[in-house]
Amino acid sequence: MPEGSGGSPRTLAEALRARDDEELAALLRARPDLLSPVPNDVTQLATRAGTRASVVRALERLDRFALQTAEALAVATDPAPYGELLALMTGDDRDATTEAALPQALETLRRQALVWGGDDRLRLVRTARELLAPSPTRPSPTGLGPTVTEATAGMSPGRLQEILAVAGLPTTHDPVSAVAALTSLFTDRTRMAALLDTAPSDALAVLDRLVWGPPYGEVTADPTPPVRWLRDRGLLLPASARTVVLPREVALHLRAGRAHRTPEPVPPAVVPAAEHRPQIVDSTAAGQAFTALTTVEDLLKDWHEGGPAVLRAGGLAVRDLKRTAAALDTSEQLAAFWLELAYSAGLLATDGEADERYAPTPAYDEWLELPPAERWGELAVAWLTATRTPGLVGSQDAKGRTLSALGPELDRSVAAEVRHRVLKLAAGLPHGAAPDPETLLARLRWERPLRGDTAGTGKDLRARVATWTLSEAELLGVTGRGALSTHGRALLDGEPVDGDGDAHADGDALADRRARAVKALAPLLPEPLDHVLLQADLTAVAPGPLERPLAETLAVLADVESKGGATVYRFTPASVRRALDAGKAASDLHTFLVTHSRTPVPQPLSYLIDDVARRHGHLRIGAASAYVRCDDDAVLGEILADKRSHGLGLRRLAPTVLAAQADPGALLEGLRAMGYAPAAESAEGDVLITRAHARRTPPRTAPSPVPEGPPVPDRTLLGAAVKAIRAGDMAATVARKPAAEQVGPRPGELPRTTSAETLATVQAAALTGSALWIGYVNAEGTASQRVIAPVRVEGGFVTAYDHTADEVRTYPLHRITGVAELADDAT
Amino acid sequence: MNGPLIVQSDKTLLLEVDHEQADACRRAIAPFAELERAPEHIHTYRVTPLGLWNARAAGHDAEQVVDALVEYSRYPVPHALLVDVAETMARYGRLTLSKHPTHGLVLTTTDRPVLEEILRSRKIQPLVGNRIDPDTVAVHPSERGQIKQTLLKLGWPAEDLAGYVDGEAHRIDLDESGWALRPYQKQAVEGFWHGGSGVVVLPCGAGKTLVGAGAMAQAKATTLILVTNTVSARQWKHELVRRTTLTEDEIGEYSGTKKEIRPVTIATYQVLTTKRKGIYPHLELFDSRDWGLVVYDEVHLLPAPVFKFTADLQARRRLGLTATLVREDGRESDVFSLIGPKRFDAPWKEIEAQGYIAPADCVEVRVNLSDSERLAYATAEQEEKYRFCATTATKRRVTEQLVHKHAGQQILVIGQYIDQLDELGEHLEAPVIKGETPNAQREKLFDAFRSGEISVLVVSKVANFSIDLPEATIAIQVSGTFGSRQEEAQRLGRVLRPKADGHKAHFYSVVARDTIDQDFAAHRQRFLAEQGYAYRIVDADELLAGEDPVH
Repeated sequence: MPEGSGGSPRTLAEALRARDDEELAALLRARPDLLSPVPNDVTQLATRAGTRASVVRALERLDRFALQTAEALAVATDPAPYGELLALMTGDDRDATTEAALPQALETLRRQALVWGGDDRLRLVRTARELLAPSPTRPSPTGLGPTVTEATAGMSPGRLQEILAVAGLPTTHDPVSAVAALTSLFTDRTRMAALLDTAPSDALAVLDRLVWGPPYGEVTADPTPPVRWLRDRGLLLPASARTVVLPREVALHLRAGRAHRTPEPVPPAVVPAAEHRPQIVDSTAAGQAFTALTTVEDLLKDWHEGGPAVLRAGGLAVRDLKRTAAALDTSEQLAAFWLELAYSAGLLATDGEADERYAPTPAYDEWLELPPAERWGELAVAWLTATRTPGLVGSQDAKGRTLSALGPELDRSVAAEVRHRVLKLAAGLPHGAAPDPETLLARLRWERPLRGDTAGTGKDLRARVATWTLSEAELLGVTGRGALSTHGRALLDGEPVDGDGDAHADGDALADRRARAVKALAPLLPEPLDHVLLQADLTAVAPGPLERPLAETLAVLADVESKGGATVYRFTPASVRRALDAGKAASDLHTFLVTHSRTPVPQPLSYLIDDVARRHGHLRIGAASAYVRCDDDAVLGEILADKRSHGLGLRRLAPTVLAAQADPGALLEGLRAMGYAPAAESAEGDVLITRAHARRTPPRTAPSPVPEGPPVPDRTLLGAAVKAIRAGDMAATVARKPAAEQVGPRPGELPRTTSAETLATVQAAALTGSALWIGYVNAEGTASQRVIAPVRVEGGFVTAYDHTADEVRTYPLHRITGVAELADDAT
Repeated sequence: MNGPLIVQSDKTLLLEVDHEQADACRRAIAPFAELERAPEHIHTYRVTPLGLWNARAAGHDAEQVVDALVEYSRYPVPHALLVDVAETMARYGRLTLSKHPTHGLVLTTTDRPVLEEILRSRKIQPLVGNRIDPDTVAVHPSERGQIKQTLLKLGWPAEDLAGYVDGEAHRIDLDESGWALRPYQKQAVEGFWHGGSGVVVLPCGAGKTLVGAGAMAQAKATTLILVTNTVSARQWKHELVRRTTLTEDEIGEYSGTKKEIRPVTIATYQVLTTKRKGIYPHLELFDSRDWGLVVYDEVHLLPAPVFKFTADLQARRRLGLTATLVREDGRESDVFSLIGPKRFDAPWKEIEAQGYIAPADCVEVRVNLSDSERLAYATAEQEEKYRFCATTATKRRVTEQLVHKHAGQQILVIGQYIDQLDELGEHLEAPVIKGETPNAQREKLFDAFRSGEISVLVVSKVANFSIDLPEATIAIQVSGTFGSRQEEAQRLGRVLRPKADGHKAHFYSVVARDTIDQDFAAHRQRFLAEQGYAYRIVDADELLAGEDPVH
């Protein structure tokens, strides 16, 4: 940080203005939110950098030590010289590691414009100071309380002088110098030690309880002697009627000057949990990579002719997820992962039809054509950069709705960053070493201490994403036996291990890295085979992955019995028939088997194919609308030969039978027109005689009589009706004051006032406790008039005693159409 | 990586048998993986929890299993599978059954939550007694088998350290003059003795009786032998007198006709399961002596009451003998948990290759029904359908043709339906042995067949098991018990005994085309096809037309 020769900068804007372009660029890179929209000038930049939202965001992205440094600055004097900060961080015993790491942390804070000013006048941005400094409602992360000055504000001068006296200090003329005297006593290690030496041991125990925070303690109206001893000497100062606080200076003395109990200047190391031979890691990962490819293929093949329907709220129904999991022979959680992976890679999407379903995309067909390693590259990159978090599937969101796979609620922006960071940390270990998940999580927590624990889940999202990343990387074959593989490493190359963690690398570099990973993986994947082994128990074993056309034909001709490195197929009559149905001839199948079998085709298998083929198509089935039957096949020949019969769609099935596409009526007409005298046949084969048909409805009951007017109401209904009428009556007839400058609504009409008036009137009524007449529209849109006595108005709601309903109710202000005061005589 | 083994995600292991490392690999995986199918090129093994626990019981640990898989695998072994293996094996031994000096049989645990979990099971509660301390609970001695079986089903197999009773000693030695136990028989005996109790699986004709005799010579104690029928009992007796130092007087027969209890007693399943007034009077046989060894012949036929009783016999050594551990009722796992795990198993083809069983040519002859038969078949009642197509007249002609073709050789015609067999017997001028044939008559006919006096014998399913017909070279099966795989294996076994002149055996199965007979045949043949005995299929028309498609 350049020191202005004309003195230190007086404001953040001045400090920023003094920075060179590169430093400004660094600031904007670290805090990109300052850029949207681009600020007009440095003053505006400084203002924006000081806004609460931006400062919170910047603080959340600090690592633990930088944050600790900022926290220390927040409890130091403002501005603080470097020496004071150093003392706060290292304590009286001057921890060397912390001392060495401090300039770096301070530099980080300066770069992010959280701290400005020269080393003699370090200033924490005011907003950050407010966020991090202790206040009575929110204790500081340091566990330190307010300073003596702050704690004694509002204390009577007499009481102050008493404290000075008991503490053994000379009395002063005014409170300010009294506070100064007390402060200088507390900050003087020697005198303070002497003072504490005289303290009774149970008083020291009280201090011990408060020293590392929270610094507040509850006291009774008649405090115990040790508390009284401390309070008399100002070592505890009153915070409110029933609480006392340990002043910051005293706590610091007791802490030997340290702001933090345990400064963590060094990031916790990620420790290997196991070490494997790099070859084993690579081959295991490659094997898993191959499995991942087949799994995604299996999944989408299953949905080849259209997948399950899309839920109205988006996503996949639980039932469909279960079905998919069963089809993939895996758990629902894993099925969700594969689905999300295919979705992130653009291989799977909704079809956008009115009756929306999932289906593979055209990109899937292109993907299928790629070599295996390339296919893996697509999946791996999609996974690495996706913000989708399949791990959340099945859990519930804040509103208690279950998150469904492929649903709209699964994007978590932190996912890509954490995923990248986890792999990056794993890459920091030697080749073949699998990181210990616990140390990895500890490291992640150190790097982003504030982005932790989000409400009640037990584990924060970052930690969960990190855990998922480890298992997903294994599934995808990025890691093998927990250790990052060569091709996994290639995906990450190009960034320093201790980079600041922003995973948004530009596209080009990513494409390069993908290409390198693909190149590393390609030789490890098994070569597709062009042959199988046929066995006499009617199975075929493919001792490795098969070439695609071979695999596809075989999948039709035989049933898959077992999958994995190899595939076992079983031939059954049904599977052979399937192949014949698909248009293959028996001879094709024989040739196919001879060509692709490394072993002689077993006799039972050839026999099976011939036996099924013998019967295949023995029975033929088709659709016809009508038939022509005639014992004289010459007549049928005549009809077929006649040009006029062409429109009837006639076809000869047997010498004496013609099938027609035309319906029986049209056929009769057509043949008559051709000069024949056909007769119609019934389904039983009798000749149908044409005659007029009587048409009847299905059975129907006679209509029941409709009496005049509604039925006579019963007693209950009548009672309720009367009560309702009376209540409405009261609301409508009470006399009310006309609203200001407005003609009061006619009886029976809802009052109308502007929302400001409504609010003012209701608030006034709440204060005076008077009743109001309101018009109200409920959630169903029904309007009503009510007489209410407001009790409380807050948060857009009026809580009031409702005279109409005779109970206390709450009304949203925006549903009140208007109010009118009741005429005085009505209440 | 170019190993002979491929590990599948469904936990099957595919072993390429022609690979140079195949033998080593087979030895490495045999302790924990069950051989499921052994056709010509690729053998399928399966890794099951039971197999892994048996491996643990035999002293193998998870690391050895993982090493074997990783070393021989052609492709990387899925990590999840390795983890699963380790986890499954770690479940074994958390519970142990042992003898407590004061409390008798007790179940102890090294992992208290497991004990808590199983004690909450309703199935375990009636089997255990008092809680002795937090880690120990007493077990009723009579429930030793039952609790082991139940724990196995709950997934927490108990290690049984309670040991065996020696039983009443009785001197038995093998009399190996002029013959010797074959190497695989020795291995089988050693495997059994080392494991304590268990099942030995050997093909028919491979000399299971001698494995039994060998085990008795090891035990040197009174022995109870359970067999399927009286003929079989006589043959056991005959064989034991011939092959061991036992004399006729030391061997008793406990059957429908005789009730002798001697140091070695041979009883039939039938007599044991005879029920009178709701009780099994003959089950006391188990307690009548202090048996040191119980041998179950054809253990796949073990009837349910004997099952129950076996559960109470856990303190005695048990040996099960069978050719096929497939049970049509799916109770294979009961055999494992009650008699003991499989201690020895050899693929049929391997023993054939060593020359101990005859090579066999299996042929399925497909018979067309005549048009009128087809119509009658189509309209037959569902339960009559199989009988109808299995006994079609065309089968008779085909059988005659086959008998004619192999004239001069020893031929067995095997069938299910008595009418059909009688008719065949008439046409072939051959004697018929069926259920009603008295035992004396049966043995007479068998002797005549053995000596070659008669060359064709028609038998019903009474001859399915344990009859010793050394020179039968041709078997023609005309009908069977629906889709029974083990019956098919037993029947093939009839012709597998090695032939004096070393020539090939033939096994014909005559099947009616396009009927359920054909479906059943496919199911029946599956076990043998998986053992490498593939059927060739020929058309009856060709056979009848005098062409010789068989050769």
